[in-house]
Amino acid sequence: MQIILATMFQTDPSQSLPPLDAGNASIWHHMSDALHQSIYRVLSLLISILPGMLAFVVALAIFTVIGMALSALLRHALTAARFDDRLARGRSSGEWAPSTSPTALIARASFWGCILLGLMIGVSAFDASYATAATLPISFLPYLTHGVSAIFLLIAGTLVARYLARTVLIGAVNAQLQYARFLSLGVKWMVVVLTWAMVLDHLQIGGKVVDLAFGILFGGIVLTLALAVGLGSRDLVSRSLESHTERTGEHNAPPPAAPTTGPGDSIQHF
Amino acid sequence: MTTADPIPDLTAASAPPGAGLLVLLAAMTTEQLESVVANLTAYFPAEGLIIATQEALLADSYPALRIVAAPETKASWTLTGADFVNAYQLAEKFEARGILMLGPESASLGSSALRELAGAVFAVSTDLAVPHYELPPYAGLVNSAILYPLTRALFASRVRFPLAIDLGISLRMAKLLAGAAQRFSKLNQSEAPLWPVNEATVAGYTIGQCDVGPRVQPTGLDLNTILPLVTGALFSDIEAKAAFWQRFRPLPPEDTQRTKPQMPSADVPAEIAPMLQAFRLAYTNLQEIWSLVLPPQSLLGLKRLNATDAAEFRMPDNLWARIVFDFLIAYRLRTINRGHLLGALIPLYLAWAASHINITASGTSPEGHIEAVAAAFENDKTYLVARWRWPDRFNP
Repeated sequence: MQIILATMFQTDPSQSLPPLDAGNASIWHHMSDALHQSIYRVLSLLISILPGMLAFVVALAIFTVIGMALSALLRHALTAARFDDRLARGRSSGEWAPSTSPTALIARASFWGCILLGLMIGVSAFDASYATAATLPISFLPYLTHGVSAIFLLIAGTLVARYLARTVLIGAVNAQLQYARFLSLGVKWMVVVLTWAMVLDHLQIGGKVVDLAFGILFGGIVLTLALAVGLGSRDLVSRSLESHTERTGEHNAPPPAAPTTGPGDSIQHF
Repeated sequence: MTTADPIPDLTAASAPPGAGLLVLLAAMTTEQLESVVANLTAYFPAEGLIIATQEALLADSYPALRIVAAPETKASWTLTGADFVNAYQLAEKFEARGILMLGPESASLGSSALRELAGAVFAVSTDLAVPHYELPPYAGLVNSAILYPLTRALFASRVRFPLAIDLGISLRMAKLLAGAAQRFSKLNQSEAPLWPVNEATVAGYTIGQCDVGPRVQPTGLDLNTILPLVTGALFSDIEAKAAFWQRFRPLPPEDTQRTKPQMPSADVPAEIAPMLQAFRLAYTNLQEIWSLVLPPQSLLGLKRLNATDAAEFRMPDNLWARIVFDFLIAYRLRTINRGHLLGALIPLYLAWAASHINITASGTSPEGHIEAVAAAFENDKTYLVARWRWPDRFNP
């Protein structure tokens, strides 16, 4: 083992080869050559990527600095011009929250716009470097951009899932459905599963397995929810139908003086 | 700038106006329309009336009346911005001296009520005449729980029904309200409710309150739809007028000469079980959302309430005031989606309503409890102002 390691790290195999027979010497020679070539290729690859990476980092850093400067400049200029006050005059609800004032929003948007521009230019520079070096696999860069868009897709899906889950939860609670949380979770997981399926599909991971798994999972969730809502809402539906029938029957009758408008029979909320 | 109150006594209304009263009527049936016209003509000279209605009223039946067509609005239960714009445009067109706006089901108002409201329009130094309805027990609870206490605490106004659906307004008040409504229509929200009392208070116009007796309220209102709509509109208006209400303004003294109609106590307490069930269901499911809005102290109060028996169920007035103020702050800061926020307020309101019914069933007069709630809002106004100015310092 010591001999093998020593051979691997030798620059000139002829200097320290043990006095073995000629066949062994030839094998060691070939192995050493192969290893040297591998190391050379790896180092060459790294060296060819380095300018691209450096260009990416420099572009990002420059545009971050530009973004910070532009953001600060806009913030000062808009504050000096009383932009928030002028805008509030034209609105029905005049005052903005401090964290979401138009000035703060514009300053933040300009900063993140610069960052995004820096990213795009950095990736372009990286792309140019890769094209000239032509040593990276051809699918790496598109995969990188797909990865970024997949992250955005995941974030958007998570936000939509949370929004819909809350909407369903509050609506179901106010409709006095006992399984409100279950319904909300079902909707949330439906959107989450859909999002992950889209992300994996976007990244071209899994192929048809993802489609199949998504179909099974989504269908399962929908069926479960349909059964739960269908079985759990029998009373609600029958009450609704009964009240509709009563209303139809009393169509010609005079309207009641004190109508009910919510929980509690003799209560008028308005 | 002077504020609107103290409320002048309008019960001894001035003499009937000679001419130029524009009466803008909401959509109603022909029978109701005829009843309203009969009530109006019982007191006002027909030649002085201009009646604007969306319905086809036969001019032959009332030859002495001047009947004009009012533009159709989508509003079905309250006065909206579009109504105020129409009122001002018609008043200018027909050179009316004052405007009487009557909402849906206004046929249930007596002729004396119409006289009071219209008389106030022509009275000296009154720009806005707001009715004080005599409602049955457990009626108008959203108004008693949220609209009245908030308006009283923030705008220092004693108007008991800030979102009244019948109003008497002067021409300059109509101009002010039309201007405010046009801001809404620019945002494509012309059907949103407007807050005349707040507008008048901020503008320094005078407000009068008239006792109009009983009134049938519009029917078919769904709490889950209307509460977020009304509360959201009020919260938006409060947000827009923050510079005004953050300054301390003393509540004007109550008019002792005026005898306020007392809400009668109910013979049989209303059934509170469905409301408590709604609150308890929400308590088990909406904790996550409430905890984003309410401080731990309020959450603890709700926990105690949840563990209380139905017979002992009482929501402390200061807890309710804090809840409404915290929701108002969260609305302003957009802590969560505004639709979600106002939806999450509904079960808490139902808890307050259940508590109100329990309290009044134990002997307290409904009006007395509502006044106590309004006083709690006033006392806690400093909390609202502090959180409004420095929201992060008080972040729950």
